[in-house]
Amino acid sequence: MALSFKPIKPLLHTGTNASSRWFSYIGLGIGVLLLLCSVQMFINIQQLLKEGSIRKDGFDFVSITKNITNETMGQPEKNLFHADEIEAVKQQPFIAGVSPLLANDFRVQLSAGNVLPFSTDMFLEALDNDFIDTLPPNFAWKEGEQNIPIILSSDFFEIYNIFAPGQGLPQLSKETAMGIPVQISCYGSNNTITFSGRIVAFSDRVNSVLVPKNFLQWANKTFGNKERQDASRLFLKLKDINDPQLVRYLDAQHYVINRDKTLLGRNKIVLQGVFSGLGIFGLLVVILALMLFSFYLQLVIARSRQNLELLLTLGYSPGWLGKNVSNQFVPVYIFIVLAALLCTQIMQWAFHHFVMFNRPELSSFINWMVILLAAALVLMAIVTNVRLVKKLLYGLG
Amino acid sequence: MKLEIRNLLPTYFEEERKSTSEIWGKERSFSNGDLINIVAPSGTGKTSLIHFLYKMRESYSGTVLYDNKPLGQFSREETAALRKDHVSIILQDMRLFGEQTILENLEIKRQLNPYHPQERIIEMARQLGVDHRLNALAKNCSYGEQQRSVIIRALLQPFDILLMDEPFSHLDNANSKKATELILEEAARRKALVIFAELEKADDFPATHLYHL
Repeated sequence: MALSFKPIKPLLHTGTNASSRWFSYIGLGIGVLLLLCSVQMFINIQQLLKEGSIRKDGFDFVSITKNITNETMGQPEKNLFHADEIEAVKQQPFIAGVSPLLANDFRVQLSAGNVLPFSTDMFLEALDNDFIDTLPPNFAWKEGEQNIPIILSSDFFEIYNIFAPGQGLPQLSKETAMGIPVQISCYGSNNTITFSGRIVAFSDRVNSVLVPKNFLQWANKTFGNKERQDASRLFLKLKDINDPQLVRYLDAQHYVINRDKTLLGRNKIVLQGVFSGLGIFGLLVVILALMLFSFYLQLVIARSRQNLELLLTLGYSPGWLGKNVSNQFVPVYIFIVLAALLCTQIMQWAFHHFVMFNRPELSSFINWMVILLAAALVLMAIVTNVRLVKKLLYGLG
Repeated sequence: MKLEIRNLLPTYFEEERKSTSEIWGKERSFSNGDLINIVAPSGTGKTSLIHFLYKMRESYSGTVLYDNKPLGQFSREETAALRKDHVSIILQDMRLFGEQTILENLEIKRQLNPYHPQERIIEMARQLGVDHRLNALAKNCSYGEQQRSVIIRALLQPFDILLMDEPFSHLDNANSKKATELILEEAARRKALVIFAELEKADDFPATHLYHL
């Protein structure tokens, strides 16, 4: 005959002080609900803002400059990134890669030769190849070659097409533009060389006129007579442009990034703060409810003291009794947490459906981490319960 | 099972008690089959002794040993096992669950380690004349009925040692005799040691040893 708790159950005076019990149940329910909802919203924010930015190969690419103020104006050394500063940026855990944008140190003029009556002073920049989104195989140059491949910013090309009609120039398609040879004239202090250039690709990522890096290094040396180490712009490869750590770091260093690109990140900091606060509040309510429940348990055991003592006198094991007394409350805990989980699920569905209009980045279902947290809360409640009851029973005669 | 006491004395008794008592301050060893009658007038520590032997109180100097293991070294769980399987008790103050029926009280004990089937409860109750009260709440039963129920409760488990503290204090002579017969029958069935503490020498109890406390 297995030892049954059924005849023992009526000996526990659980019915006494029902209001205290219900307060602790309700408190626990509210606390768990707050905690689960906060965690779910926290995850929603992460997912929304992660998917909200333009990403290539799982990374974001942005360029940063130093903040040019009235104090630093006219002092290039203060507005350029030095090698040690570049190294410091590289060390940041949220930055996957850094490439300085090398600029020309000599005068460059771009013209379309005889094809179009178009000529302009221009700038050239160079970047490490792995930072370029559209890299054709012919984007290469060897010393002595006359042909220079160019990657042009799509934005710049768009601007050309806007002002071209006003200047009496033809508007061009990308395909045509890639077929037009351009002349790149490089002016040194005592020499001028004209190269033949050709647009080989357009880039959405880099707002610049890019030429192969080894060409620009050679040209700076040949026409500019100096080897420049410092960069005015850094091109960053980021794991997540909305990472609040990145925003804080750039602000602290007074580096400038397009504010619009980090706007989501800035909002994320605020929202995460709000939901972290709510989560902490929820956790406090959970702890408070568990404390209230432990008082209730102590009261039950105090009121049933005589009966429990007699059971121990008869030979009932305190371990067995403790386990069974605490097990009485396990279904209640599970019910409370399941109810809170269900409410969180309904909230998530409503949020996704009515507030986010079924945006694909989000799910109508709660995240597995929330379910895991709910399970952890049940476990925590049970363990604290068992320990408390065991301690109280061992304290009896 | 062997029960020994060595130099036992309640902490609230003066040392002089040792010289007048045959139990306090002495070394005694009891084993299976012994029927011990401890005669003790009021105030000599009868209930204290039974409580010490059952580990209900530990306010004593000296040692109580079960099979050479000091009782003080028994953990809570080991004490529970000792009470469940080896040592049974009939307390003077009965201790029943008042809100439960007599039968429920007996079943709560029996399910711990059932030595007898439920039919035997009814048989023993009939033997002691309380079978008609089995379904009555314990709190509504007379002291005499309660005491007979407590005797049955103690006999429902296996035991090597039966401790009794004035087990017939609320019974008349005829009922005491019936109860003694039942107790002796059940003890003999288990070849158990019985320690019977009473105010005066019990005539119906065939003691193998008699001690004055």
